[in-house]
Amino acid sequence: MLAFEHIYKTFNPGTPDASTLFDDFNLTIDEGEFVSVIGSNGSGKTTMLNLVCGSLAPDSGKIIFGGKDITKMSEFRRAKRIGRVFQDTKMGTCANLTILENMALADNKNKMFGLTRAVNPKRIDYYRTLLEECEMGLENRLGTVVGSLSGGQRQALALVIANMTDLDMLILDEHTAALDPKSSETVMHLTDKFVHKSKITSLMVTHNLRFAIEYGTRLIMMHEGKCIVDIRGDEKKNASVDDLLNIFNKISIEVGN
Amino acid sequence: MSALLSSLDVVLQDGFMYAILAMGYYVSYTILDFPDLTVEGTVLSGGVAFGLLVRAGVNPWIALICSFLVGFAFGAVTGILHVKLGIRPLLCGILVSTALISVNLVITVVGMGGTWAGDGALSTIDLGRGVPTLLRTFPANLLPTNFYGFNLQRLVTFFAIALICKLLLDVYLKTKSGLLLRATGGNPQFVTMLAKDQRICKVLGLAIGNGYAAVSGALIVQSRGNVNQGMGIGMVVIGLASLIIGLSVFGKIRFMKPTTMVIFGAVIYQACLGIATLLGVPSAYNKIIMAALFTIALIGSTMMQKKGAEKHARV
Repeated sequence: MLAFEHIYKTFNPGTPDASTLFDDFNLTIDEGEFVSVIGSNGSGKTTMLNLVCGSLAPDSGKIIFGGKDITKMSEFRRAKRIGRVFQDTKMGTCANLTILENMALADNKNKMFGLTRAVNPKRIDYYRTLLEECEMGLENRLGTVVGSLSGGQRQALALVIANMTDLDMLILDEHTAALDPKSSETVMHLTDKFVHKSKITSLMVTHNLRFAIEYGTRLIMMHEGKCIVDIRGDEKKNASVDDLLNIFNKISIEVGN
Repeated sequence: MSALLSSLDVVLQDGFMYAILAMGYYVSYTILDFPDLTVEGTVLSGGVAFGLLVRAGVNPWIALICSFLVGFAFGAVTGILHVKLGIRPLLCGILVSTALISVNLVITVVGMGGTWAGDGALSTIDLGRGVPTLLRTFPANLLPTNFYGFNLQRLVTFFAIALICKLLLDVYLKTKSGLLLRATGGNPQFVTMLAKDQRICKVLGLAIGNGYAAVSGALIVQSRGNVNQGMGIGMVVIGLASLIIGLSVFGKIRFMKPTTMVIFGAVIYQACLGIATLLGVPSAYNKIIMAALFTIALIGSTMMQKKGAEKHARV
């Protein structure tokens, strides 16, 4: 489904600040997997997501997606098959448009944006049923400008929007990190519901170790551009937050933090 | 009394004329957040295109559409410089409007029978007697030129054109393409996630903005009866001030469309200039007054925003 092959990436090459993150990084994700990725800051989690989505290009190596080499494909072309929800709740929706307008745009994804009417009143009922799944009452606020929603509501809407198109992969980029504990619980629950329903291959970066263990089918811990833990199945089910914390601490001692 | 009426006539006519420029700025400045200086060149380009075509006997309404297309093309150049080469918005506008000084001059001279070296003819285009302008052809020629001191012919024609421009923009902004344009200004990343190239949307927005500026330029030529190579100067201030006055004075009215606010803003701005003239301020001071009015509009708009924020905080 998705494979990183011999990825090399150095930031600020040729300057005193040069730092090599990926030095022959390899990872394969199979179809239908829901992978949680954890790791300390600077371990390469977000860079990995940026490489998948195309907001960053590797120095060398290949990114294979659905059997095709997408290393040179532009970000917006990849977005046809890859959905993304960001940590920043402002990124996944458009603040100056209403909920209805946001959904109408998403409904038209991968189609022509021509000179026909943007909002089709016949689709409103469909949008309402999608929003009802969030259980936030958003279905009654279609005319509300998205900028006036709370972070949790915006993130839930971003999830709904990302799932409106038939996608091959969903990227969740610390998408609960900016939310309060209750909202982040709700959004995570909603995420799981969506992923289960559509069986979409998902890649979720999170700092929440409990989420990483509880949700998903595979768990990866990254450190300095390498996957140092990669567990699935029973092994993952039996892992505990303490186990993961122990590994974290061991690494920290090794690097002298 | 008649002085007052004739000033009112000029204020309304100029207001409608510049409202179209301000609507262009609504697209580039308000929606896309792009401070576009290209209009100093494209207003004149629109005027040159209109003037030459009308002199050549082309139907003035078709000439008006052609001037839109000319502005559209030059606006797209600004957009492409920005998205393809990564040049900052202000510099893109300066580059294109500077280049347009030569383009407009040479096209004018060539159109008037001169050479491509830019000499051999006048650099002005005169729409004298016998040239079938907007007002001298159907349907505007059916209206009276003097109606209780108002030049109804010109006033109604300009109002109708401003209204058509407003309605077209309103309709466009409700289409899929228009909604995508609004999303581009609000959150370009969202457009990328919709698998659309947000760079193309930006180019399109700047093209539309400058197309409107060029139509405004065509009306200026229609109104003055000639093309003058200096007529683009000060257009940034007129357009932006009209836009900002309109949006800050009427911004609180929910049912009013921004395009309507912009038309009122343009008229208010021209009214302030008209009052200054009535008070006897010499026309040499016009640009100072324009700049001062713009400053007041800016201060007013930030004050309105603060007030709005306080109100919001109280609720």
